[in-house]
Amino acid sequence: MSSATFAVLGLFSDAHKIVDAANQIRPRKLGRLEAYTPYPVHGLDRAIGLAPSRLGRLVMFMGVIGACLALLFEGWVSAVDYPLVTGGKALFSWQAFVPVMFEVTVLFATFTAGLAMLFAFNKLPFFGHPVLHSQAIKGITRDKLALSIEASSAAFDAEAARQALIDNGAESVEIVPVPAWDRPLSLVGLLRTIAGIVAACVVAGAGLFAAEKLIPIVPPMIHMHNQPKLNAFHESAFFVDGRGMRPAVAGTVARGHLPPAFATPEEAGTLLSNPLPLTQSIAERGRRVFNDHCAICHGLVGNGVPLLSHAYGGKPGNFLSNEIRARPDGHYFGVLMLGKNAMPSYAADLDHDDRWAAVHYIRILQRAQNAKDEDLR
Amino acid sequence: MSPPRSALVRNLFGAVTLIGAAGSAGVYFSVGRERFWVNWLVWTLFLLTLGLGNLFLVALERLVGAHWSVPMRRVPERIASLIPLAVVLLLVAFFGVPVIFPWTYPEAAHNPILVAKAPWLNLPFFAIRLAVCATVWMLFYAFYVRGSLRQDESKDPAFTVRARRLAPPFMVVLSFSLTILAFDWISGLEPEWYSDMFGVYLFAGSLIAGIAAMVLGVLSLKGRGRLPEVQTKHIYNLGSLGLAFTVFFAYIGFAQYMLIWYANLPEEVIWFKHRIEGAWQPVALALPLLHFFIPFFLLIGSVGKKHPAPLRLAAISILLGHFVDLYWLIFPTLGPKPLFGWPELAMACFFLGLGSLQIRRAMGHGADMPVGDPLLAQGLEWQL
Repeated sequence: MSSATFAVLGLFSDAHKIVDAANQIRPRKLGRLEAYTPYPVHGLDRAIGLAPSRLGRLVMFMGVIGACLALLFEGWVSAVDYPLVTGGKALFSWQAFVPVMFEVTVLFATFTAGLAMLFAFNKLPFFGHPVLHSQAIKGITRDKLALSIEASSAAFDAEAARQALIDNGAESVEIVPVPAWDRPLSLVGLLRTIAGIVAACVVAGAGLFAAEKLIPIVPPMIHMHNQPKLNAFHESAFFVDGRGMRPAVAGTVARGHLPPAFATPEEAGTLLSNPLPLTQSIAERGRRVFNDHCAICHGLVGNGVPLLSHAYGGKPGNFLSNEIRARPDGHYFGVLMLGKNAMPSYAADLDHDDRWAAVHYIRILQRAQNAKDEDLR
Repeated sequence: MSPPRSALVRNLFGAVTLIGAAGSAGVYFSVGRERFWVNWLVWTLFLLTLGLGNLFLVALERLVGAHWSVPMRRVPERIASLIPLAVVLLLVAFFGVPVIFPWTYPEAAHNPILVAKAPWLNLPFFAIRLAVCATVWMLFYAFYVRGSLRQDESKDPAFTVRARRLAPPFMVVLSFSLTILAFDWISGLEPEWYSDMFGVYLFAGSLIAGIAAMVLGVLSLKGRGRLPEVQTKHIYNLGSLGLAFTVFFAYIGFAQYMLIWYANLPEEVIWFKHRIEGAWQPVALALPLLHFFIPFFLLIGSVGKKHPAPLRLAAISILLGHFVDLYWLIFPTLGPKPLFGWPELAMACFFLGLGSLQIRRAMGHGADMPVGDPLLAQGLEWQL
């Protein structure tokens, strides 16, 4: 047990008396004055010589920082990073930012006030105060007011402090020693604390994980597991046929897959005409389709000479022949859909516009081999 | 204070008022009746809102049972004496209603919006509302101010109890009547326009302007040594109240603007468009500066609430802002450019002179502190 003095405590019963005593003792500079009271006493902060708090300025500063950050963030998000016109307003609409700026200002200011007060000005963490181990503490937490003269320097005279308190009306005086355990926060202690927190987190996490995997009685966070919905290809007791995925209504047609309204290419020739206008891009598309799908058998110029070896015994049609040239556009379309002789249907490989574009390209190939005089001009 | 100087000041105010009155007559006959009545309306509302704001402060103290403001209460009670003056001026302004209010024009019969609003916006009902509001204000003014003066002599604590009981109904009545005042006399100038919050806006403006006038009154009396027992702690609390209502006014004003800006409905937004764009833009910028930013940053720290100089500066800024506010609300009906010339100055002289004379007269009545109030001792002893 150290015999050094932490402070000399004087107990009072009357709020006016403690203020008067503090006003009398303060000019004598016996030591740092501190007061412990069960309720706020008006004027005591000035009497013990407490300087005006700097908290206000800090809060103001952080509030302004919060407002500026909110303005910058909102401006950057709305006008720079993801410019999206909303309601016909300008991208940088300060009017819309003000509510958030206000909230962030308040957030920064209150957090600064709370944290700075606790950690900067009240010097937390502070694991126990010498006065908590005094005899007087019971009175202080009930109805007594204590004025303490702390030993702020080596020249502290406990006896003079005691006498000053008694002279100024203290009912009783107690000398509070510096407790033996009251050492400053050590590095080892700090590391132990951090290690303890980490260990607690690891144990809790691992334990929860193991409990969930090994003893799955109550799975945590089940809110999103059980949703009132049906998944594709899963069965369901809700429907009579037991299928969760509903079959399409009879007569449903998939987009872009209109079934043909003809039974033979000849019929298609009488029914259909090419709906696509002949433009540069459609001709390009037709060439691509032709070269990818048709040219391997019909040849790159459509003359019916395959690009395959002669081992292939088929006889593809010659688009340049008079017989095939005379057929209407719809006939070509019908063959692509239904196939002809050895040629299979290309209904699954080519969509509607691909087929008509290919028809256009075939017409171009035919005309290239049968150019008229005016084409050459 | 020596009597000769007092008489001199009174004569000076009287002379300013007379010059202003002559100028106002000149405005009426040479410049135009419309401009005359619009000026009349701005200044009448200025005096009336100061008076009602101070009567609100008196009732607020009664309502919450505050002790700290009791030593200073004579100041708002005296400033509230603007109410009878302003009520008379407002009754006179009734003659100007057919000149400046479009819903009274013959064309209004062809405007479907005004036809739909005719059950509210018609002269007989307008007059009834004016009469009811004026009566209510005068009754409560007489009750609170005359009653408090009588209590100086009688020392009757029963009046304090009655004043507290009547405070809640007064708050309700005042908020309703200020809403009617705002709808009838300000937004009625552009009767197609509509804003739910407009009543609260004028209410908030009246309160903060009332507090600013009270601050100036307290500092002025204290500077002359007439309120020696009012200490820094009392003035500090008054400054805090001023800060709170400065923020309240800014909140209401911005909320009204933001909602209309967001909704962007043509019939609502046109009102702000006339007041924010073009020649009115500097006025629209001066309003938040004078009414919020300057007083806010002056009063946010504890220094500004304690010391007379920043407090006085904030109060003057707020009062200027209150005039700019009324000017900005009412004058755009005259045209797309802010009019400010000798007619405005002459009429300002007239009304400010009248108001100053009235407050000076009231300042001479009774004791400077409510000596009959049983709470006065607690108010003086009250600790921050």
